[in-house]
Amino acid sequence: MTLMLSVPLTLSNFSCYSPVCIDSSHFIMSLAAEAFVSQIAEDQILLSDCASSLAVQAYLRMCNLPVQVSYRPNAEYMSPSGKVPFVHVGNQVVSELGPIVQFTKAKGHSLSDGLDDVQRAEMKAYMELVNNMLLTAELYIQWCDDNTAAEISRPRYSSPYSWPLNHILAYQKQWEVRRKMTAVGWAGKNLEQVYEDVSQCCQALSQRLGTQPYFFNKQPTELDALVFGHLFTILTTRLTSDELSEKVKSYSNLLAFCRRIEQSYFEDSQAGSSSRGYSKGPSLF
Amino acid sequence: MATSMELRCWGGDWGLPSIHTESLVVLAYAKFSGAKLTVAPIDWTWRTLTGTVPELVCQGSTVTEPAQILNYLRKLRFNADYELSARQGADTMAYIALLEEKLRPALLHTFWVDTENYSSLTRPWFASRSPFPLNFLVPGHHANTALSRILLTKSDSPLHTITEVEGKIYSEAKECLNLLSHRLGTAYYFFGNTPCSLDAFVFGFLAPLHKASLPSSPLQNHLRQLENLQRFCDHILNAHFSSHPGSPQPVQETVDANLQKLTQLVNKESNLIEKMDDNLRSSPQHKPFRADPRPSPSNSTGSTPA
Repeated sequence: MTLMLSVPLTLSNFSCYSPVCIDSSHFIMSLAAEAFVSQIAEDQILLSDCASSLAVQAYLRMCNLPVQVSYRPNAEYMSPSGKVPFVHVGNQVVSELGPIVQFTKAKGHSLSDGLDDVQRAEMKAYMELVNNMLLTAELYIQWCDDNTAAEISRPRYSSPYSWPLNHILAYQKQWEVRRKMTAVGWAGKNLEQVYEDVSQCCQALSQRLGTQPYFFNKQPTELDALVFGHLFTILTTRLTSDELSEKVKSYSNLLAFCRRIEQSYFEDSQAGSSSRGYSKGPSLF
Repeated sequence: MATSMELRCWGGDWGLPSIHTESLVVLAYAKFSGAKLTVAPIDWTWRTLTGTVPELVCQGSTVTEPAQILNYLRKLRFNADYELSARQGADTMAYIALLEEKLRPALLHTFWVDTENYSSLTRPWFASRSPFPLNFLVPGHHANTALSRILLTKSDSPLHTITEVEGKIYSEAKECLNLLSHRLGTAYYFFGNTPCSLDAFVFGFLAPLHKASLPSSPLQNHLRQLENLQRFCDHILNAHFSSHPGSPQPVQETVDANLQKLTQLVNKESNLIEKMDDNLRSSPQHKPFRADPRPSPSNSTGSTPA
């Protein structure tokens, strides 16, 4: 497959340059991530989507693949699975971290090749733990908690649209998420129990991480990217109450982990402002 | 502990103390931690419709959901995880999440959504255990819940049908089974020599799949190839539930397993021979030859274990 150069995007919120990943000796595995799309910056994106897209960004940076982030209000509808973020490479579109990892693996970039079977099982199990607990908790807090939904989630989600579409879309999204919560059995929980679950999940992650730099010792894997995405977003997002970020802050090795990844992978990008584009609040420093 | 604890759950069959996954998890954990539970099956009562299963009743308070019940038992100092290190405790949480995300949708599909299994096995079982007129309502209600859960959590959009999701959930489930098999290796339990809560959860998920006689199940066939997981289930059944009527003795178990394998081989061979025979008979070079009635293929379907 031949390489393609990226096309300057029309609606991006920051300066775009064409990322080119040409390695003349590896024509087979040329992968230039042309566009990486999430929801519109600063105004519309919500906590859970921001976490997922940050995880994918971290993963792609760990693979040393140049990536360009652009924000579109209709990203959810552009995505093949209905979920953001998605990666647009050439004429292929891949959404969500799992398929993106497989896609890059097919192109020859993989972070978890050095793991044996048992370690791979552990990695998959921990990724499911994060998805099961942290992501579901984020969704619950955003949409099932009435305060947060009314003050933050609904206004943000519907900000690019005019009346009456903004009301319709916001309530539709809320209804969908509440249905999903009922299906997985989280509808009966109250906020305290959700915070408790987040705390237990962080405790498990903290114990697994221990004093190592990354979860599987020296090299980061997709698990590190996923955990970083969620934890960093939780730490830097301002919600109606600070309890969620306080729960995460109580584990110091997780804080150090986030700082380490932010320093290694997000500080050295050329477009300095674009690397801050994802966070709504201050960085960890 | 002199307090009596009563567990309400679905009844047992096929050699298992209960055929319901969550109830099995609680029962197994109770056995591992030494808690004495009186089992009160909700079969043939009106609780089949109204009650959430499993439910632990102790000193007037009721606790539902396996995770909560296990926490409650731990508070009463029935703790099977006492000897686990912090890291193993974290691994337990992670593997339980893996089971919930990857294996449960496929199990729900196998038992409740797949039409052949549902109509020939699951529905009659649950209908026969519910009083009139609930036997018309209960299976359907569970099937709807299962279907909506699968569609909402696994499909890409609410408009997709179940067939598009089937391939995805079964491949994820098979991968999950492989991962569990790798993690278990040759040991009897997941962490050392004593069973803990992860073993209870894995047993609860796998045992119905292992023991039920499902007419069509690619997932069950996949499980049959993973020897160590089958051995894991059988070992727990024999070691902890062997006083329960209906579970086979260990020696007879292996003999029956071998006999079953032999029977399968012989059946396969005879199927092949039948096919060859048919081909020969229908080939144009040979006149149809009215011979004596063929001896029926091997009928040593024999004593398959329950």
